[in-house]
Amino acid sequence: MFADQSIYAMLALPALGAALCLVLRRPRHVLATIVIVSAAEVAFAVNVWTEVLGGKGFVAAADEWFYIDAFSAFHIIVLVLVFVLSSAFAGVYFANETGDHPFTVPIARRFGALWLGALTAMMLVLVSNNLGIMWVGMEATTLLTAFLISLHPSRLSLEAMWKYLIICSIGIAFAFMGTLLAAAAVQSGGTVEAEGLFWTQLASPDARLDPTLMKFAFIFVLVGYGTKAGLAPIHSWLPDAHSQAPAPVSAMFSGFLLNTALYCIMRYVPAVRHALGGEFASGLLIFFGTLSILVAAGFIVFQRDAKRLLAYHSVEHLGIIALGYGLGPIGAFAALFHTLNHSICKSLAFFAVGRLGQKFGSHEMHRISGAIRADTLWGLALLGSLLTLIGVAPFSVFMSEYQLLRATVAAGAWLPLALFLAAGGVVFVSALRHLIDMVFGTPSLTAEPAREGAMACAIVMSAMGLLLLLGLWMPLSLAQAIGRAAEFVTGPP
Amino acid sequence: MLPLLDIVHAVGLLSCFALLGTSRIGACIRWLAFQGVLFGMVPVIVHDGGLTVRVALLALGNIALKGIVFPWLLLKLRARAHYNREVEPFIGFVASILFGVLALALSVWLALGMKPALKQAPFGMLDLSIFVIFVGLFLIVARRKALMQVIGYLVLENGIFVFGVVTVVGTPLLVELGVLLDAFVAVFVMGIAIFHINREFGSMDVDQLTALRG
Repeated sequence: MFADQSIYAMLALPALGAALCLVLRRPRHVLATIVIVSAAEVAFAVNVWTEVLGGKGFVAAADEWFYIDAFSAFHIIVLVLVFVLSSAFAGVYFANETGDHPFTVPIARRFGALWLGALTAMMLVLVSNNLGIMWVGMEATTLLTAFLISLHPSRLSLEAMWKYLIICSIGIAFAFMGTLLAAAAVQSGGTVEAEGLFWTQLASPDARLDPTLMKFAFIFVLVGYGTKAGLAPIHSWLPDAHSQAPAPVSAMFSGFLLNTALYCIMRYVPAVRHALGGEFASGLLIFFGTLSILVAAGFIVFQRDAKRLLAYHSVEHLGIIALGYGLGPIGAFAALFHTLNHSICKSLAFFAVGRLGQKFGSHEMHRISGAIRADTLWGLALLGSLLTLIGVAPFSVFMSEYQLLRATVAAGAWLPLALFLAAGGVVFVSALRHLIDMVFGTPSLTAEPAREGAMACAIVMSAMGLLLLLGLWMPLSLAQAIGRAAEFVTGPP
Repeated sequence: MLPLLDIVHAVGLLSCFALLGTSRIGACIRWLAFQGVLFGMVPVIVHDGGLTVRVALLALGNIALKGIVFPWLLLKLRARAHYNREVEPFIGFVASILFGVLALALSVWLALGMKPALKQAPFGMLDLSIFVIFVGLFLIVARRKALMQVIGYLVLENGIFVFGVVTVVGTPLLVELGVLLDAFVAVFVMGIAIFHINREFGSMDVDQLTALRG
């Protein structure tokens, strides 16, 4: 019902919320506002999702400038899930900010406005049909989130922010070149009006595209948006930004900002398949995916900072998702399922590390010790989320990685399979080694820890519950929804 | 029409070499402003259909932002920073000029490769735009001052703008406006970032930003 109005509402609500945050007088009110707005977004998103799956398969508004199919609807659901969890956690996290980093009114206002602004921009990326507007939204996310990294200006956070700003701006500029080249490819083909440059036109089988230009376009788009998605070897901003940002911001970065960029890349894939055959795009995706997994595994071994460890895990998992997209229908299904699992799991992991970091006064792993006795709730959350992250059964990441293995076998991609398994083994062992000390070591805290409130319990329970549930049982409707989303990438069966 | 484009081509190349060889940041900002105005006129020159409202708006918007607003903001930032020279860049000025020569050859070669697919694009503008993009990227990596990196980023934007104007006919106005708005916000955000960095570190040298690694 009212699906097209829901699209406008999904864009307008966070924008208005951002403006409202600028005039609120208490940090508490800002934190409440972002939770309320995110929760309302969930309602709209679910409405759109059911409409897409139940009806014609898409929802459009504004002369098809806004267009949501199963692929974007699925991403919107993941986006709002991450946002509602992270917004709720922001309340827990900032209420406990003390010492050097008080959560004052100006900081709260800035945080609220940029946080909801980033939500608006990401939503714009996901609902836009026009590839140019999609790019505008993507660049806006970079600019809006830069100051979230240095919410508390310090030497380290400013350094991380500057690198993020410059590297991602260059990346996004390359993506713009890619967008222009795609437009030129449409014009040289001469069948469709380039006026709109809609991905629906690009993806349609009757679009005649110039193959040379489309090839250039996809390389630029892959490298450009790939910078933002944290694909190796252009991921260098990612560990810095993730480690310096406040924990809710890191959770949102890892949980969805990276996926938004990957989403943009995937919008070009059907066009590339039509113009150049299936091998070109999937070959590049498999290459960058496998490379990211390998590079991340190498860095994970040597990490000392818990948040940097998680950041490299993001590089690894985005690599896994990209690899999945390159492997045909089963792979695309696994990639989308993995997107959902990774987003929930990684957000929870950042929550746990952020909160424990506040208690132990550091994110250095050797200083976090005996977390489960110092703080039962977040210690358990850290244990559960990290075990999930490295693919322990019966949690859902295990399931999606298992499907991915099946996809590599089905596609006969033996080299990526071998590399993926080897890197997975390295990550498993080294992450487990860090994890055991952090969770079960001798507690280095002497003070009696404060009890966590109901909100914190609810966040941990719901996230862990979802991860366990999805690992044990995949509802048929969800499987169908993901299957239909995967069709966009691989073409109808 | 064509001689005008040749002038833009020649002067555009010249401005890039000036940017590569200049150490005074104020001079670089002025060259950047000059490029903004020069390239802002390209849409008017290449469009055969004459001066439509859309083309005029696009040209005016670009000239106003890149020729006037950005340089003005950058000059204000420079005044705050109490420095006006790029001393000891990561790559020296002579080497930079040499890079420029190589990059020019490379961009002509790339433009030749793209030429068959982009029949409607004037060749001079194609190689100029690729060259400008190279120069922008080079300035970002080869200079020490954060302000010079912003200048490099804007040079890169200039190059992409020219490339877009000559290769794509009729991008929707809405998209153009969005792109301009993003560029505007980008400069603003980078400006504030530099302000904070300057306050925290007491300088704008990016080689001090090396605490985070691994």
